[in-house]
Amino acid sequence: MNIEITNLRFTYPTGLEALKGINLTINSGEQVAIVGQNGAGKTTLVRHFNGLLKPTSGTIFIGEWETTKFSVAKLASRVGYVFQNPDDQLFSRDVLTEVTFGPRNLGYEKAKIEELVQRALSLTELTDKTDTNPYDLSPTWRKMIALASIIAMDTPIVIFDEPTTGQDAVNVARIANVIAELRNEGKTVITITHDIDFCAENFERVVALSNGQVLLDGPAREVLGQEKVLAQTYVDPPQLTRLGKRLGLKETVTRQEEFLRAIE
Amino acid sequence: MAFVTLHNVTYQYPLTQSPALQEINLKINEGEFLAVVGPNGAGKSTLCYALAGFVPHFFKGELTGEITVDGKKSSEATLDEWVMNVGLAFQNPFNQISGAKFTVFEELAFGLENIGIPREEMKVRVEEAMALTGIRELADRSPYSLSGGQQQRVALTSILVMKPKLLVLDEPTSQMDPIGTREVFSVVRKMAEEGMTVVMVEHKVEWIANFADRVMALKDGRMVLEGKPNEVLTSDMLAENGFGISRYTSTAREAKKRGLWKKENLPVTLDEAVEGFAK
Amino acid sequence: MNLNRSFFVPVNSPLHNLNPLTKLALVFSMILPAFLSLPQLAPFLAIPILIAVFIGRVQKQYFNLLLKLVLPTILFMFVMQSLFLPGGETVILNLGIFDVTRESMQSAFYTVSRIFVMISSFAILLLTTHPSELMSDLTRRGLPGQFAYVIISTLQILPQMQAKAQTIIAAQRSRGLDTESSFRKRIGSLVPLVGPLVFGSLVEVEERAIAIEARGFTSKRVKTSLHEIPDPAFDKILRGILVILVIASFTLNLWLS
Ligand SMILES: Nc1ncnc2c1ncn2[C@@H]1O[C@H](COP(=O)(O)OP(=O)(O)OP(=O)(O)O)[C@@H](O)[C@H]1O
Ligand SMILES: Nc1ncnc2c1ncn2[C@@H]1O[C@H](COP(=O)(O)OP(=O)(O)OP(=O)(O)O)[C@@H](O)[C@H]1O
Ligand SMILES: [Mg+2]
Ligand SMILES: [Mg+2]
Repeated sequence: MNIEITNLRFTYPTGLEALKGINLTINSGEQVAIVGQNGAGKTTLVRHFNGLLKPTSGTIFIGEWETTKFSVAKLASRVGYVFQNPDDQLFSRDVLTEVTFGPRNLGYEKAKIEELVQRALSLTELTDKTDTNPYDLSPTWRKMIALASIIAMDTPIVIFDEPTTGQDAVNVARIANVIAELRNEGKTVITITHDIDFCAENFERVVALSNGQVLLDGPAREVLGQEKVLAQTYVDPPQLTRLGKRLGLKETVTRQEEFLRAIE
Repeated sequence: MAFVTLHNVTYQYPLTQSPALQEINLKINEGEFLAVVGPNGAGKSTLCYALAGFVPHFFKGELTGEITVDGKKSSEATLDEWVMNVGLAFQNPFNQISGAKFTVFEELAFGLENIGIPREEMKVRVEEAMALTGIRELADRSPYSLSGGQQQRVALTSILVMKPKLLVLDEPTSQMDPIGTREVFSVVRKMAEEGMTVVMVEHKVEWIANFADRVMALKDGRMVLEGKPNEVLTSDMLAENGFGISRYTSTAREAKKRGLWKKENLPVTLDEAVEGFAK
Repeated sequence: MNLNRSFFVPVNSPLHNLNPLTKLALVFSMILPAFLSLPQLAPFLAIPILIAVFIGRVQKQYFNLLLKLVLPTILFMFVMQSLFLPGGETVILNLGIFDVTRESMQSAFYTVSRIFVMISSFAILLLTTHPSELMSDLTRRGLPGQFAYVIISTLQILPQMQAKAQTIIAAQRSRGLDTESSFRKRIGSLVPLVGPLVFGSLVEVEERAIAIEARGFTSKRVKTSLHEIPDPAFDKILRGILVILVIASFTLNLWLS
């Protein structure tokens, strides 16, 4: 199920134009990272994918559905979106209810709901916290609950809005694992992130937004190597890419193995 | 004498089974920039609350040991006196808006109004603080219509503007773009050089190594390591215990196994890595 | 979406420029006579209220509030009062055991007029007054800070709850809860909304309490304010006149009865 965005513009009721003509196609099963400066319009863009925002002009198609013609609830069967602020997303009195909410609304069979919920909980290591009120847990845990409650919906497209903020190395690895799982199942994963090393290690394609427009779009290595252009949107290349450049390596390296091979 | 001292500090939240901080002993000098690292649940935020007086004055629970800032004991002060000297930027940037203000400028002035700063000085200080964190163009925006990173900048600025003697920052760059993150570190560094004492919880190891004077590593409520950034942040113990480490360190550790890294010490900054890998 | 989570409409008007205390005095000079003077007075007070709405340039927001909040409330009260108020002879309508009499309707009309005057005056105050200016001005005049904050937060509860409700609805729709398609579903969707709304608001209140504490809110120093809140002679005279008017209306009332 492809995502097809044409000439998308969006102006907030305050008069601020946050998206200024975005053209983007994301193919079924792709893993795409979106990077860019604070206020670049990343969150505004992905909120259009599940219909929370409707374009001021231009169109977005999720498969053959144009988002303006379908309700958010309907689009939820195709697009799962993990909010940037978990507190805007969580509303249930315990973790289990929270994670079950989505799949139940999508009308899956009971056994399937159970299975999806269990898998989401175990991927995020929340299995022993099912009875806890999300607000009794720290913001980092709430972020994990928000994530679990979306992956339990088993949608073909999953969007994460800065999933790794505040997470320690173990949790970041856990999130990377979730993304890998989703990739194996053939799902489309779109992730907004400021963690460029995480981006380099987990995504094949990177889109850099700047000021409501697409600045760069392409394979991770190509995009992340362009230090000067990325700086326009306040993004640094990954650590190993910067190291490779300083050492005068001819090719852009982004990951550890590549780097070690290059210096051997 | 040290500007901040924690002597045998142990603290347990009400209704919990085990302490969130255990026997913490720590001295911080005036104008020092101390970074705190640790995995989730290590007690980093609790340490921030303790320094800022919210533990135990707000969260109740039992605190033993002693916290002293600028010669005053936290147990003997009230919270409203304490916050005059100690400013805290909270971990959750989304819920720090006062709720009574219409523009970012007014929001930033809120704290200064509370402590009775005269109007003219207030305006100058707000302008200065906005320039430091790069949010001048947000001055007339509603504090509720900002992106995540913009909200975090406003929250951070609202504390900076109060010029506390001890500045406590709990993951102040978690929502920020990479270059913005580096700029915040450099602003904080500058404030420390001007005499402000800073405690900053962070996961972004590369910038800690570049900007902080000292690092303390927390795990399960205990201080497990403390010292110079490049020593603490490259220690094997950290890598084995779920702490964040820089790609320079992890890659050099692997390179060392393969004989590609010849030096004794591992790098944590770009410069150190370049130096060690260059032929 | 109400971005400011408050009723205030930031435009420039003579009402906006009045000192907050003067506006408060205006509010009470409407409410006190409406409730304590002859019942026949209240309906006529609608005239100055409508004039104030236009002077304050908040007609759009005011009529919006009127439609969504004030009218449903007073209509409901009107019906209830007409039905249940005992007494009166001139039966206009008979609904089973209920007699709607001319007298009960008249009395209901006066009651809802009073309510209308009260809600409307407060609404105009809120629409034309920056909440933090109201707060600063009252604290400057000696009202304790915490007390002022309680007043302000109470005044802002409605718009805040509205914002919170929108957030929760967006979250629930994003997870497939159908709230748009039919009226029944809309009503049905209120059920999963109420709990989180109350609980979520409580959590927010606590977090905000800590956040403002960190910024010296409970400091015992004398507060200052960013905006100068002028209190020119005109305001003082106006307040004086209002006090006299209120007293006069009571005297008139006593004399007439
Ligand atoms: N509710 C809103 N009303 C008005 N303007 C808004 C609103 N939310 C965001 N904006 C503005 O729109 C622009 C884009 O915001 P957006 O949240 O999409 O940025 P972002 O790229 O996600 O940034 P960040 O990395 O900080 O989360 C910003 O200038 C922001 O201030
Ligand atoms: N208000 C509270 N009441 C009870 N227990 C709490 C409270 N806040 C934190 N804790 C507990 O105290 C311990 C330390 O938590 P703290 O939030 O200080 O960790 P942290 O290092 O800041 O973690 P994170 O990286 O997730 O922010 C945890 O076990 C946590 O569950
Ligand atoms: Mg965002
Ligand atoms: Mg924390």
